[in-house]
Amino acid sequence: MKDIFLSLEVLFRPRGIRRRDVSLVIMKKKIGNMTGYIMILPVVAIISVFTIYPLFYAIKTSLYEILLARPFLRPYVGYGNYLEVIKSYYFFKSLLNSLVYAAMCVFMVTVVGLGVSLLLNCRYKITNVLRIIIVVPWAIPFVVSGVMWKWIFNSSYGAFNGLLYSLGITDAYVSWLGHPLYAKICLAIAHAWKEIPFAAILFLAVLQTIPRELYDAVRVDGGTSWMAFKYVTLPLIKPVLLVVVIWETVIGFTMFDLVYVMTGGGPGDSTSLISWYTYAETFKFLNLGKGAALSILLALIVLAMIIIYLKVIRVEQVY
Amino acid sequence: MKRYLLILLTGLIIFGSVFFASAQEIELNFLGWSYGVETVRDNIAKFEAKYPNIKVNFTDVSWFDYHDIAVARFLGNTSTDVMYGSDHWLQEWAAAGWLVPLEDYFTKFVEYKKESAPYAIEGMTYNNKLYGLPYYADMVVFLYNKEMIKKAGFENPPKNLSELIEQAKVMKEKGICEYPLALCIGKQEGQSIEIFTSIVYSFKNGNMFDEKLNPLFQKDSGVYEALKFLYDAKNTYKILDPASLIWGEIDLVKSFGAGNHAFTFINKYNLAELNNPGVSKLAGQFSIALFPGETRSCVGFVRFYCMTKMGVNRGKDVVDAIGKFINYFGGKVDGQYNVVRRWSLEKGLGFAQLPLYNDPEVISAINQWGNVEVEEEQAKFARAKQGMTPFYGTWDIFMREQINKALLKDVSIEDALSASTKYWNELKKKYGM
Repeated sequence: MKDIFLSLEVLFRPRGIRRRDVSLVIMKKKIGNMTGYIMILPVVAIISVFTIYPLFYAIKTSLYEILLARPFLRPYVGYGNYLEVIKSYYFFKSLLNSLVYAAMCVFMVTVVGLGVSLLLNCRYKITNVLRIIIVVPWAIPFVVSGVMWKWIFNSSYGAFNGLLYSLGITDAYVSWLGHPLYAKICLAIAHAWKEIPFAAILFLAVLQTIPRELYDAVRVDGGTSWMAFKYVTLPLIKPVLLVVVIWETVIGFTMFDLVYVMTGGGPGDSTSLISWYTYAETFKFLNLGKGAALSILLALIVLAMIIIYLKVIRVEQVY
Repeated sequence: MKRYLLILLTGLIIFGSVFFASAQEIELNFLGWSYGVETVRDNIAKFEAKYPNIKVNFTDVSWFDYHDIAVARFLGNTSTDVMYGSDHWLQEWAAAGWLVPLEDYFTKFVEYKKESAPYAIEGMTYNNKLYGLPYYADMVVFLYNKEMIKKAGFENPPKNLSELIEQAKVMKEKGICEYPLALCIGKQEGQSIEIFTSIVYSFKNGNMFDEKLNPLFQKDSGVYEALKFLYDAKNTYKILDPASLIWGEIDLVKSFGAGNHAFTFINKYNLAELNNPGVSKLAGQFSIALFPGETRSCVGFVRFYCMTKMGVNRGKDVVDAIGKFINYFGGKVDGQYNVVRRWSLEKGLGFAQLPLYNDPEVISAINQWGNVEVEEEQAKFARAKQGMTPFYGTWDIFMREQINKALLKDVSIEDALSASTKYWNELKKKYGM
């Protein structure tokens, strides 16, 4: 098609333009067409080496029974590893654990994050300082915050126990991380502490775009603060709210760092999330095939979540 | 002219010697877990002074993560020439071809067997070949708080597990402590299985596996009794601290050292720290007694220095350097087990080298914080772990979780043991044993 246009260009070229000039134009256009490919080549190469190749390698690995402590025997088992994983004692329990954990995190991060952003949106002198301070937990890596929270919840000398004991709320130190339910809640608190600033900043950004006149109109109509929130704030922050909810769902569902540092999946398997088992299959049970199968399954679940996310966002944009 | 020639010649000699020296220098990459890091570094400095052409790069990682990091390094070919090993990982790592037998490269190391405790030799042997020289060898022992026992009105520590429960109940009733018994049986703690196995061994029928590697987990077995004891301690009598299920060794030592508990089963060397006035306010209150139970048996284990396949692949010079390193740290230099002796004197680490029990300085050092007589007596009852196979490490992780689940009442004791048996048999089949 491009060649036809170029021929037409040559046919109807203005008088005085030489054949050599036309060839130059064609060559330039050809180079121009190539430039795009050349420009994306490094990125394609990097993605191929670091994403596409490992992905296919992981898929290939998941089709073999690879036990690292039995290196000389690697039979092809097809989808056997996937079946073994799905039938395993931990799969559905860890899936449930991951969903419960993600739900707790999403709830805490969204509600508290929104509350914090509403406070920061008020015009007080201190809010500028608070806006900076609030970002600090977000800047701390999950591993570091995990170690910190593990100390805070320690059953013998933890600050949380000290606080409750000194206030007279508890009469003895409690093993927060040694109880299946409390351990889950403690993990979710540590997660929320780290992620709330992110949500708060997103909410704050959108809150600042809402015209004050809308709130004035509510007041003129005799509306309360709750009504202003319900009929003005909430509908206008809904797209960001959805981003936060779905982002936190994915982060919560794939969480590994905090679990590894704070509880190691225990006590029992109460905080063993699916990501923890993916790690355990590979590095603790030394079963590379099952580990790869589990990571592929985890990737598919997350992919499904992302598809839902994209669809929901599209609907919201139309709205 | 002469002066210039002299300068040129001197320059050439200096350059040549520096070049030659740097060409001869061998770098060893040594991986260990984070314990007594300052002492390790000091020992390395002394080793480097003795062998100036060998430089040692020491990397230390948390004990909790050691197995996983070591595996990741093996898989990623991260240069590791010499490292700490443990009896419960040896079979796995040797079967995978990550470690090599020391006696294939250093035949004289076999002579050390004559002077070493049998359980330690067993722990360092795979396919009848010696894979390591001991870093330390120790036992899971019974420690108690003397003051608490006195306060509770008892003269002696418990001799069996029933007495332990009775004494603990009295302590709880009198408000001496909320949880008299504390352990470190968290899922991440590698010692969990050693502590559990010690309790199993304390019963008359206390065996984990038979000679054909079949699990002995039926209802009247020592394994069942051990798990039942832990279950009752936690849920029926509430004498076991629930935090035990997530604790590692350090957490337990801190809590025990702070006087929160009266009894524990833990590696013996911790007694040195507990009774060190510079570290613990309650130093002097802690004591060792024979493991309570029908047999008084416990687990004896060994951690050791071993050589990797990666190290061997680097060539003969590196292998020679590794041999010197392992011999310096785990063997005799100038007729003395210098490094092992130092660990014992300064940190209270146990040892597999039997001649050290005749060393007056070592005896005196141990008696400052412990009791040599009780230790020697306990050593007679120490047994190596059973079921050492390439898949023991994998099964161990699963078993720890099942113990946790039974104690949390997520599953019954029978179901936990049945699942562990099933998993063991599956692994046994997969590994063709």
